[in-house]
Amino acid sequence: MDTLFEGQPTRRALLRAGAAASVLIASPAVLRAQTKELVVGGAAGHKPWVEQIVTPAFEKKYNCKVLFEGTRSLVNLEKMQKNKGSQYMSVVQMDDPVMILAVKEGLLEPLTVAKAPNLADLLPGSTHMEGMWANYLQPWLGVAYSKSAMKTPPSSWAEMFDPKYKGRIVIPSLQNTEGLPSLFVAGLLAGGTIESVQKDTDAGFKKLASLKPNLLTIYTQQPQAFNLLEQGEAWMIGPAMSSYALERKAAGAPIDLVAPKEGVFAMPSGIAVIKGAPQAELAFAYVNELLGAELQSKLAGPTFSLATNKAVPKPEGLGADVKIHQIDWANVAAQRNDWVKRWDREMAI
Amino acid sequence: MTAARRLDPVILLALPAVLYLAIVYGVPLLVLLGRSIMVGGVPSLAPFVGFLSDPFSWTVIGNTVRIAVMVTLVCLVIGYPTALALSRASGLAQALILVAIILPLSVGVVVKAFAWQIVLRRDGVVSQLMMGLGLWNEPQRLLFTEAGLVIGAANVFVPFMILPIYSVLKLVDPRLGEAAATLGASPLYRFFKVALPLSLPGIVTGIAFVFSMAASMYVIPNLLIGDRFQTLATLTGRSFLFMRNEQLGSTTAVVLLVLTVAVVVGSAALSKRLGGAS
Repeated sequence: MDTLFEGQPTRRALLRAGAAASVLIASPAVLRAQTKELVVGGAAGHKPWVEQIVTPAFEKKYNCKVLFEGTRSLVNLEKMQKNKGSQYMSVVQMDDPVMILAVKEGLLEPLTVAKAPNLADLLPGSTHMEGMWANYLQPWLGVAYSKSAMKTPPSSWAEMFDPKYKGRIVIPSLQNTEGLPSLFVAGLLAGGTIESVQKDTDAGFKKLASLKPNLLTIYTQQPQAFNLLEQGEAWMIGPAMSSYALERKAAGAPIDLVAPKEGVFAMPSGIAVIKGAPQAELAFAYVNELLGAELQSKLAGPTFSLATNKAVPKPEGLGADVKIHQIDWANVAAQRNDWVKRWDREMAI
Repeated sequence: MTAARRLDPVILLALPAVLYLAIVYGVPLLVLLGRSIMVGGVPSLAPFVGFLSDPFSWTVIGNTVRIAVMVTLVCLVIGYPTALALSRASGLAQALILVAIILPLSVGVVVKAFAWQIVLRRDGVVSQLMMGLGLWNEPQRLLFTEAGLVIGAANVFVPFMILPIYSVLKLVDPRLGEAAATLGASPLYRFFKVALPLSLPGIVTGIAFVFSMAASMYVIPNLLIGDRFQTLATLTGRSFLFMRNEQLGSTTAVVLLVLTVAVVVGSAALSKRLGGAS
C-alpha cells in the first residue's frame, strides 16, 4: 500500500505542474512571433521528398521553420473550411479536383507574377482558374506492361484493345483519378480530339465497351493491380501512374512504363496559398520556390514526375516530342458522377 | 406494482449492452432510415421509387442476393459435416478441428483476399489441379469471376456456419440416433428424421449469420471481383465515399437492411414450421 501512496502527487506538486502546463500552452504564440514558422498542408505520400529536399533548402534560404502536415487532399480541405477566418496553414498542396472545391468555397488567395515570379516560366496549362493554383509537378500516365510476358513494349494505347490480350488487361476504376483518361484515350482511338473527347464521352464509352473481353479486372486499389502485373497474371495496366509504376520498377519489379504515341496524360499536383494565411509573404515565397527550375529539377527524378517549369527538361523515358495531354478538371468535376453511373452499367461483367 | 413485481433484476445485466447498442447502432440506424425517406426536408418515398424503377438497381439487388445465397449454400454444404464431425470428436481431434476453424479468423480479410488472388490465378494451384485431373484442357481464369468470389467469401465465412450448428449438435443426446437405429432406422433415415431436425436451430442461425454477412460484405468483392460487379454494399460505399450522394447511399443501405432482415426472419419462421411438422 505504501508504494501506492508514494505515487500520489501532493497538492503542491499539482499546483507546480499546473503552472508549468499553462506556460507551455501559452508559449507557442510567443515562439511564433519570434521565429517565422510556415505550416504547409499536403499529402502523406509527399512527406519524404518535402522534408528531405524542399524544407532544408527553403528553411536555410528564408531563415524560417517549415512544418509539413501530410494527410489527404480532402482532409486538407476540411482543415481549411474549419479554420476559415483564422487559418493556421499557409500553403496547401492538393490534387486539382479538390482545389476546385477550395476555390468554390473562397479558401484560396490567387497567385500573381508579382508575388511568385516563377509563375511566368511555367508551361501553358499549368495554372488554373485565373491563377488560383498552379501545378508544380505532374506524375504522368502511360501504359505499364509486364516485361516477362511481353517481349516488345506496347507503342500505342490501341494495343490494349488487341484481341490477343484476352483477359490480360487491367484498367483503373473511373472513381480513381488516374482512371479518367481511359475514357479519353478510348475517345481518341475512336477518332476524337483531346478537347472533344473530354466534353462528349459518348464515343469513348462505346469504344471502351469493346475492351471488355480483354479485361482481367477494373481496380480501385492500385497496389493490387500492380501485384497482378508483377505476378504475370496481368500483362498491361493503362493508364498507369509514373510515380507508382516507375518506383516499382526501380525497386526491381519486372515491369516498365511506356509513353504511347498518342501521348501521355498529366496527373494533377497543385499548390496554392490559403486566403488569410499567416506569414503570407513567406507562403508566396514557398510556392515560388516549388515553381522554380532549381527545386523542380531536383524533384522530378525522385518523384518520377514531369516538371512544369519550362527550363526543366523532360525526364528519361519520355521522348522530347511526346505529347502531354492536360485534363480539364473543371469539366471532370461537373460530369464525373454521370460518367461513373454510365460506367457501372456498361462496364459490368 | 405489477411492473415492479415482474421485473427480474437479472434483466438489468443486459443494460450496458442495450445502452451501448442504442447509442452506437440504434440512433445511427434511425438517422439513416430518416434520411432515406426525406427529400429536401419533406418525407417522400421518391428515392425508393426512383431506385427500384431503375433496371440497373435490380441487377445490383440480383448480384447481392445471388452471391449471398451461393456463399451460404457452399458454407452449409461444407460446414454441416464439419460441425457434425466436431460434435462427435473428442480430446485432441476436437481441439485440432476447433483451432483449424478459429485460427483463420485471426487472419485479416485483406490478407485472405490476396492469398486467394495467388491461388486462383491462371498458373495457380486450383488451375493446375483441374488440369492435372484432366477436367480442364487449358488454364481457366477464376480470378475476378463470380465463382472466384463465392469460393473466397465462403472461406472467410464458413466458421460462422460451423460454430452455431456445432453448438446445437453437441447438446443433442447421441443416444437418440442409437435408439432410432435399434428401431430399425437406416443411416439416411436417421439423419433426415432425427439429426437434421434437431440441428435446425443451429442451421438457421448459421444461415442468418452467413447470409447477412455475405450480403453486406464490402472488402472481399472489392478485392476478388473488382469494380465491374456492384452489390448493394459496394454501391452504398461508393455513394457515400465517392459520389457524396447521401440520398442514394441511405436508400441502398435500407434496401440491403430490409433484404437481410427478411431472410433472417423468414428462415427462422421456416425452421419453426419444419421443426413443428417433424
